Amino acid sequence: MRAAFALLAAVALAFLALPVVAIFLRVSPATLVHELGDPVARDALVISLKTSVLAQALVICFGTPTAYLLATHRFAGRSVLVTLVELPLVLPPAVAGIGLLAAFGRAGLLQTSFAFTQTAVVLAVAFVAAPFYVRTAIAAFESVDPTLVAAARTLGAGRWRVFARIALPLAAGGLGAGLALAFARGLGEFGATIMFAGSLQRVTQTLPLAIYAEFEQSFNVALAIGALLVAFSFTLLLAVKWLRSDLISGSRFAPSTST
Amino acid sequence: MKLLAIFAAASLTGVFPQIDKAPRYQFAGSDQLAFQILQGAPADVFAAAAPKYPQELYARGKCWKPVVFATNTVVLIVPRANPAHIRSVYDLRRPGIKLVVGAPGVPIGDYTRKLLAKLKLSSVLGNIVSNESDVKFVVAKVALGEADAGFAYKTDVKAVGSSVRRIALPAAGQPTVQYELCIVRATKHLQAARAYVREVLSPRGREKLKAAGFGLP
Repeated sequence: MRAAFALLAAVALAFLALPVVAIFLRVSPATLVHELGDPVARDALVISLKTSVLAQALVICFGTPTAYLLATHRFAGRSVLVTLVELPLVLPPAVAGIGLLAAFGRAGLLQTSFAFTQTAVVLAVAFVAAPFYVRTAIAAFESVDPTLVAAARTLGAGRWRVFARIALPLAAGGLGAGLALAFARGLGEFGATIMFAGSLQRVTQTLPLAIYAEFEQSFNVALAIGALLVAFSFTLLLAVKWLRSDLISGSRFAPSTST
Repeated sequence: MKLLAIFAAASLTGVFPQIDKAPRYQFAGSDQLAFQILQGAPADVFAAAAPKYPQELYARGKCWKPVVFATNTVVLIVPRANPAHIRSVYDLRRPGIKLVVGAPGVPIGDYTRKLLAKLKLSSVLGNIVSNESDVKFVVAKVALGEADAGFAYKTDVKAVGSSVRRIALPAAGQPTVQYELCIVRATKHLQAARAYVREVLSPRGREKLKAAGFGLP
């Protein structure tokens, strides 16, 4: 049985690794590095980093209180709210795109003029990435030992002090892991962005959009951007592992549940 | 007839199934389709909105000699409500206009740039808010009212009806828009592919193309 499992695992690993490895083998590393100097790639990198940082700032500002409330309160309809938060995880990006247009489009519910601007990119990235952060953050806050919170309250700490001095430091590893996941997902965002923000170099053309624009024009530039995104994502996911192990070693102080 | 795979320009989405609804169609930007055929996609017939791509495949030995089967006209479209009050192509010079066009390399994108260059309006390119991958996306974003204006084909306006308005363009700027189709050399259904091309070129095929607003060579 062990041999059979090992064989199946080898096939699975090869299948998952092959396309990623192939990106790096198609042309020489020197070519990849050289092609990253292409203006399209460089502009897209700047746009991607800028919009991702802004989107994740929004996700942290609004997502952290949301996650804290959902983690520390039990009320009717809570599971519906949590499901709503999680929904973008499984929605096809195209649905997110038409949803954002229907909500924020010029002819949409709120009738904003965000479409085709960097704001639209930020919103699209925040929409698809937020659940990764909020979900992980809920789990992180839930794993904070309630007896510590109760003890702090008994000793006279207010709600804000409990949040800032107890819950936040204990959940920090989980929040960091969630942020890294959200960042990785946001960097890869394509469908909602191209529908809601369009694609224009130096304005709304993020790295994935640049791959799409370049793959027939200049395949090597597309490959180079692909390689860059693989490297980013790999680093971020590895960071998640470290933060998680930090969270688990941190759980010596808060041994209730783990994520 | 075998189930053919026809790779056709997005602007043929409406008319080709009217000529023959049997084949499997893939409609997209001609540049994308040509790229897919070069990568070995199993197309039997390739119909493009510009001679460039069929000719390129022909030169590389990937398809038989292309023939011109239709022509089209580039038009300027605005949403029905015309939020930016555009009355002529020269209004596109106003700063802040949200203009949506085809990306460079996509036939409608290249025609648009040619037209603007002819009219000495290349500065208008500064008002582009998005480069779309085929003409249908241009039309959709104008029809939704998200963009102030876009360049598409006359035949697209017919297809979306009253959600967009057409703004007349100076005839001097009009580029030559020719559609070419070719049989892909790798086809396993040569007879059927030939029959399909004959059908498009037949009086009935021409009738359908004309009814959809295409010009005939």
